[in-house]
Amino acid sequence: MDNLLLKAILVALVTWIVFADKYLTQFFTYRPIVLGPIIGLVMGNLRVGLEVGVMIELMFLGQVFVGTALPPEETFSTIIATGLAVVAGGSTEVAVATALPVAMLGLFAMQLRNMVLCVWTQRRLEAAVEKHNLASMKWNALVMPNVFNLFLFAIPAFLAIYFGAGAVQSIIDKIPPVIMQGLNVGGKMIGAVGLALLLKSISSKALWPFFFIGFVMAAYLKVNIIGITIMAVVFVALYYYLFVKKNAAENA
Amino acid sequence: MENNTTPTVQDVESRRLTKQDLWKIYINSQALACGFNYLKQEAPGFTMSMIPVIEKCYTTEEEKIEAYRRHTELFLTEARLSHIPIGIAAAMEERYALEGDIDPASINEVKTALMGPLAAIGDSLYHGTWRPILAGIAISLVIASNYTSIVGPLMFLILMAVSGQLLRHWGVFSGYKNGAKLVAQLQGSDIMQNFSQLTAIAAFTVLGGFASRFVSVNTPISYKAGETVVSLQSILDGLVPGLLALLFTGLVYWLIDKKKVSPNWLILAIMLFGIVGVWLKFLS
Repeated sequence: MDNLLLKAILVALVTWIVFADKYLTQFFTYRPIVLGPIIGLVMGNLRVGLEVGVMIELMFLGQVFVGTALPPEETFSTIIATGLAVVAGGSTEVAVATALPVAMLGLFAMQLRNMVLCVWTQRRLEAAVEKHNLASMKWNALVMPNVFNLFLFAIPAFLAIYFGAGAVQSIIDKIPPVIMQGLNVGGKMIGAVGLALLLKSISSKALWPFFFIGFVMAAYLKVNIIGITIMAVVFVALYYYLFVKKNAAENA
Repeated sequence: MENNTTPTVQDVESRRLTKQDLWKIYINSQALACGFNYLKQEAPGFTMSMIPVIEKCYTTEEEKIEAYRRHTELFLTEARLSHIPIGIAAAMEERYALEGDIDPASINEVKTALMGPLAAIGDSLYHGTWRPILAGIAISLVIASNYTSIVGPLMFLILMAVSGQLLRHWGVFSGYKNGAKLVAQLQGSDIMQNFSQLTAIAAFTVLGGFASRFVSVNTPISYKAGETVVSLQSILDGLVPGLLALLFTGLVYWLIDKKKVSPNWLILAIMLFGIVGVWLKFLS
């Protein structure tokens, strides 16, 4: 538990930076598979970071932004779940148990941001436009949203890691092993939700044969994911040359 | 244009956007989603993107204010393909400011017309196919290294960052240059239809692999056949490797797709199921 203060400050800083990335450059530093290891490194346990990153990425794999409906906040979830898993002595079960509740809290903060705070800056932006006040326009469209992120996500992350550490430790000690084991087993099954959401978002009956080809390649032939991806590209090329291009030629 | 302050050709040409200005738009447009809100969605970011255009092309304060007003109106589409309308809007603002031969209302009409199709193709291609496939590869690399290597996440980050920025850059430059022609190309042909069909094939193939690799359901149930202990898991896996995981994924899909069960409840239910399963000794 050395340097917990320093670590918590670093986590807050990382939080602020990745939320800036989420709203500006969108380099995808904020996805669990990247953020898990980053927080793991900061907290001093890369292995747990990778484990939690994989688990939460799978959980939210099918998260497609549909219109204005916001999905649970995977970024804040990854930060807190990884941080607490490390302070609890590398217990990924802690991450399984905290990931969803924290994602819902993050969603709540996001709603507050989008429904109240950024509506307010939108109004101020429109007022600035009427006066042709460029500085105020940039302030409200660029700077203020990042200030909101500081208070909604970065500071709560600091508090959760700094003050949550002790609490998590004492709670963990009291939880019976059957629950910890159960969380571990559940964590390995949660990936099905992300998969199902993704399948649903692009589902069409004609596509299921491809799903089973992918499954058979992985399950029976032990082809790894990269090999399956290559095969997927081959199927796309075959379909294109056999059907799409042929039809286009016939119609021309 | 009747008085003696008629601008010279040089004056007008000096207000035309250069390659440098397009780079400025590209940089400003990084703010697209920054002020996202439920009132006007990505309007603050769109306004930010238009600053280099409006400040250069228009000369009077009133004209500038009027132009900015246009872009504080609602705008929402996928955050990479959105840069096509940004480029097109830049070209149209320039045209209205310099030649004045287009209806300014058409600028927002074009933006609005593009929102739906670009969101559909961007969401399915970028977030529904490209990102999950790259994430899956990253996950498989992490698992293969037994949770020690960051090569997978690093690859994911670099490919996502570079592809996203290339799309944004292309959107601004190509949208500006080809403008309405690009729109006609995208809307007129079967490109959209074929494109989503092709990417869906790739996605489903890879997801089949994911179902086998990233979901695991194990049972310790076993029974005695004579003297030997037979484990249910090994019998099922002998039939179809990972059969339980496949059936479980199918069940979750059915619950979400047909029974409209909320994914959040499902995540919670699965965790409880895991605990009950370990407690009653049918899961391990």
